[in-house]
Amino acid sequence: MATSMAAAIAASMPATQAAPTPAQPTYEAIPPSMSKVIDIEAEIPVMTIQLDALVVSKIVKHSSDVQPSPALGLLIGIDLDGTLEISNSFPLPNTNDDEDKSGKALARYQAAMLRSLKEVQADDAVVGFYQSNSLGAFFKQSLLDMQAVHQEKLRHGGIVIVHDVAQASRGNSSFRAFKLTKSFLHAYKFKKFNTQSLIEHGLTFSSIFEEIPLRIRTNPLLAAFINTLSTPSSSPPSKFPSSPSAALPPSFSPLDLSSASFTHNLTQVLDGLDDYKTEEGNLAYLARQIAREKARADAHVQKRREENALRTSQGLAPLPEDDVSRLFKIPSEPSRLESMLLLGQIDGYSKSLADGASVGLVKMFAANASSGI
Amino acid sequence: MPLGPSSSAVHLQNLNSGSTLNPVRSLQNVTIHPVALFSILDHYLRRTDAQERVIGTLVGTRTETEIEVHNCVAVLHSETSEQVAVDMDYHRTVFELHHKVRPKEVIVGWYSTGSNLNTYSALIQNFYSQETAPHTAVHVAVNTGAEEGSEPGVKAYIGSPVGVYPKPENCVFVPIPCELRFNDAERSGLDLLTKSFPPNSSSIASPSSDIEVLERSIQTVSDMLDRVLTYVRSVIAGETKGDPEVGRYLLETFATSTEGLDQGSFASSLQDTLVISYLANLVRAQAEVSARLQLVTSS
Repeated sequence: MATSMAAAIAASMPATQAAPTPAQPTYEAIPPSMSKVIDIEAEIPVMTIQLDALVVSKIVKHSSDVQPSPALGLLIGIDLDGTLEISNSFPLPNTNDDEDKSGKALARYQAAMLRSLKEVQADDAVVGFYQSNSLGAFFKQSLLDMQAVHQEKLRHGGIVIVHDVAQASRGNSSFRAFKLTKSFLHAYKFKKFNTQSLIEHGLTFSSIFEEIPLRIRTNPLLAAFINTLSTPSSSPPSKFPSSPSAALPPSFSPLDLSSASFTHNLTQVLDGLDDYKTEEGNLAYLARQIAREKARADAHVQKRREENALRTSQGLAPLPEDDVSRLFKIPSEPSRLESMLLLGQIDGYSKSLADGASVGLVKMFAANASSGI
Repeated sequence: MPLGPSSSAVHLQNLNSGSTLNPVRSLQNVTIHPVALFSILDHYLRRTDAQERVIGTLVGTRTETEIEVHNCVAVLHSETSEQVAVDMDYHRTVFELHHKVRPKEVIVGWYSTGSNLNTYSALIQNFYSQETAPHTAVHVAVNTGAEEGSEPGVKAYIGSPVGVYPKPENCVFVPIPCELRFNDAERSGLDLLTKSFPPNSSSIASPSSDIEVLERSIQTVSDMLDRVLTYVRSVIAGETKGDPEVGRYLLETFATSTEGLDQGSFASSLQDTLVISYLANLVRAQAEVSARLQLVTSS
């Protein structure tokens, strides 16, 4: 009906406008108060991230369920006036079969999940993904690859939220949000991570990601519910609350004095250093090989020139000089991305070690002081 | 950790009605993971205006006497005065999706918000019993407390057929104990949420450093010590009558040995920690220098 009407109108129009304008998708009128904050073209950059309590608990559970392998899942939400609100998430199945098949299954799973979320009035726009890690080392090739893929597909390029499992078990749950920096993306697009490219982009491990401030939001209903759970249930007021009977008793795990986690952390740092040493060795070996090949090629060119000089003096035609590239294969400069990521991991591990040690010191002195009284 | 106000109802044993052949040992406990609870509340918030309550499938594991609800998925349903309809296809699809990620978890029952149990509840219960057969399905009723005069809380029931001829719409909901359960690592995540309560801001910035968390904990302990001190002083002064239970508890707590902290081990432990701290910072500095050196041109 509508199309025939459009055709009729188009027919009645002057000939210059022969083709009917393609049917514009009709948007609901945006109220003027909102017109500033809604951007259809994604022009307002994401300044902060707001993580819903539901997502927090989902990520925490998923991470602790699949420990020690990293948990991976997608984040769902919407952005409004520079704040990216993440309202839901779902885990991705752990795939370790062959790449192609699992990739397709994953895509199917993702689509089905989003569809079913939509049916219960939940948000259904993927805005990024989350990954759990241990002891602050989140620099991983897989994470970079996934984020780089998202960067092209998603609005605002997508963000990644990392959750530290080891820190959570120490009593401080941490969530951090990152996105890739422009310079890294540029280098990544050309798959160039040799020294020259690194210098051009000024890339170190600390400039791969930029951190986005993150806030956690508890909706009032949930807040009220948790509050009810964490207040001791109607015990007689006269009685001293020696044993709290709340469903959510206060916890004092941050006060644990044991320093067992240091050992593990220290091992991780050492392993990281070993890996880095091996990687450096490889790079140095490749660099030597390049230098050797280059020297041989240069020597060849030099020799050919002398020969040519001799031949011209004898009145013979000079031999071609450009067969060097055919005779000698100079390997291209190796990618330094791997070593950069390893450095990032080492930095993460040692940062959490340093933090742990400083907290440990405080706790030791606190305990010592109280036992001295 | 019981959820919600304790009820005066007797926890009846679910007597084997003879309809099932294998003798099912009675279910004694239901534990709910916070994630399931939060998802239910989120689902409730996202309901349409026409919906009085929302329902969904509870997913988890079961042992002979206990059901652990690990997760839940929302299910579409419609209720009118004449009929109730549950979107079966949707339920199946969503569960299959869930099953892909967590193959160990099975359907254990269903949830609904609000605390009224009616004929439809019995019908839905009957439907879920078929899904979970030969085990009993558990029904968790979450009262969100959003309506006037109702206490927020969670109650769990199992269905038991009633009447001479069992009919699907006839069912007695037998309450069973229900509690919240999570592991220690998840505890800190919950703390993060409880911290976000100050009334004027419903959100908090994250992450906080370890030191800040420690500071808060020490502050709490210090507050508690103050409270104990006030109580003890008032007992000594004769203002309040001392509670022997509290006295014994205090005696035990303060008699806890602090042997591990004697002078020698403290010093060596301190040295260890300092070395670790020094080492960690050294490694960080080296890593940073190394990364910067890569950027230096050879010329």
